[in-house]
Amino acid sequence: MSRGTASLIDVSGVSQIYAGRDGAPTWALRDVSLQIGDGEFVCLIGPSGCGKTTLLHLIAGFLQPSRGSVAFQQQPILGPGPDRGVVFQEYALFAWMTARQNVEFGLRAKPLSRGARRQLALDALGRVGLLAAADKYPHELSGGMRQRVAVARALVVEPKVLLMDEPFAAVDAMTRQTLQDDLLRLWKETGVSVVFVTHNIDEAIFLAQRVVVMAPHPGAIVSERIIDADYPRDRGSAAFGELYGSISGELTNGTRRAA
Amino acid sequence: MTTISDIDLSDNTHPASPSFEAQFRAANEHARRKAQLTRLTLNILGLMLFIAIWEVIPRYSDWVNEVLFPPPSTVLQAFIPMLTSGEIGRNIAISLQRAGLGFAIALASGIMLGLVTARVRWLQYLTEPLLHGFRAIPTIALVPLCVLWFGIGEPSKVVLVAWGAFFPIWITTFIGVRDINLIYLRSAACLGASRRDTLLLVVLPAALPFILSGIRQSIAVSLIVLVAAELSGASAGVAYMMSQGHQLFRVDIMFIGLALLGTFGFLADRVFVALARWLFPWYAAS
Ligand SMILES: Nc1ncnc2c1ncn2[C@@H]1O[C@H](COP(=O)(O)OP(=O)(O)OP(=O)(O)O)[C@@H](O)[C@H]1O
Ligand SMILES: [Mg+2]
Repeated sequence: MSRGTASLIDVSGVSQIYAGRDGAPTWALRDVSLQIGDGEFVCLIGPSGCGKTTLLHLIAGFLQPSRGSVAFQQQPILGPGPDRGVVFQEYALFAWMTARQNVEFGLRAKPLSRGARRQLALDALGRVGLLAAADKYPHELSGGMRQRVAVARALVVEPKVLLMDEPFAAVDAMTRQTLQDDLLRLWKETGVSVVFVTHNIDEAIFLAQRVVVMAPHPGAIVSERIIDADYPRDRGSAAFGELYGSISGELTNGTRRAA
Repeated sequence: MTTISDIDLSDNTHPASPSFEAQFRAANEHARRKAQLTRLTLNILGLMLFIAIWEVIPRYSDWVNEVLFPPPSTVLQAFIPMLTSGEIGRNIAISLQRAGLGFAIALASGIMLGLVTARVRWLQYLTEPLLHGFRAIPTIALVPLCVLWFGIGEPSKVVLVAWGAFFPIWITTFIGVRDINLIYLRSAACLGASRRDTLLLVVLPAALPFILSGIRQSIAVSLIVLVAAELSGASAGVAYMMSQGHQLFRVDIMFIGLALLGTFGFLADRVFVALARWLFPWYAAS
């Protein structure tokens, strides 16, 4: 944990079992333990089906673990709440609200005047560079823009942690890079913790202070790596290449073992 | 839709200049207007063609009886005195009142019950056999019973329309709310939304496409049930007017009723579509 010291999220000894259609159990996670520090940026990486989404949803409070415990600020997580923002892989913006209304939605729970809510929402959209699109509906926005609005919507309620499930997987490579730069900037500005799920090794090394590598069948953590290189990171550097090679090797090993 | 290729931009101004943009807008607007006009012209032409054929055939052929199938000119001759005497207006007002009131009751109760039965599991299980069972009964089969229970006055008509129009709205609201994308509920939950905000600002709008299709069905059902109710005993209303025409052997009056009912249905549907577009601008496009 290179930034914060106190542990914000404690996942300890968690197993998650899903009942299949015939009632047969699938182990999505087995005995997973992980700590996320306050203000830390952690990437979860692993092949499809290794339980990344499951782990994220446990932290979000969408699921309760079959075994083990998930705690947030030393309190067991009982359900979703505004202290843990989520950015989904699929577009989760409310289709019936404009970008501004989407961002404003989370502020309704706070004791704010209409005008203050509106201003905060516009500020948040400004921070992701979308002030001009405030009155557009999601279907009028590109994929990258929608994810920016989703990030703005999640951040405007000032969560302690941002849980992101492959948020940039559906956008083109160039847009993805801009989104990554923006995310790093917002992370530094707000001091929020980030748990970021990705399939993409390059993305993990570019973003994370710590990369957690997972393997499937059953989902488990294979390794954790602290990356203490300064931001912004140089994708062409030797260190970057080295990390890429070792994580890539670990992923193929994990997948091959499982297959 | 107009595409750029439909638009004539013969003047060679610089593509980025404001005058080019203005030209593009004007050309686009022009093409749109033209397409609209063509459509409207053809719509009217179709209607006129139909009226012309309807006029000519009973008049000049010997295989259609003019009394059993009066041409539009005859129908119009019957229509005008009935209109000026206020008879038509009164019947329309009464029919619309019945249909409107019944439909409004169905709308409110259908959405409310659909919402509740989809969100509260035990209520769903408690009521689903009943609701589905009642839904399976054609409303028209209830007309005689309703007349027995409520008489031939207004209540029996309103109750019948409300009953018939309720089920399409209830079932579509139920399905729309039950099948709401989990991601919307989860998004609302992790933004700390209250139950009320989640229900009114997330669940209902997410189910809206379903609800709107139910409302549209209900509008059609309201009209059908209204006619059945009025035919089975009433002292006023458009369908009552038609049954009077039947007894007097006045097919022209019956035709007036048909034309009125067709117009109601058509206008109600148009108004509904326009209202939905205006209230929910995101709906048509997304
Ligand atoms: N609702 C569910 N019911 C049954 N099995 C499930 C359910 N959700 C996930 N699983 C299973 O649990 C395992 C882990 O799923 P999870 O979605 O967490 O993986 P993932 O790492 O996010 O994969 P991906 O990279 O494809 O998103 C998979 O084997 C999956 O089939
Ligand atoms: Mg996943």
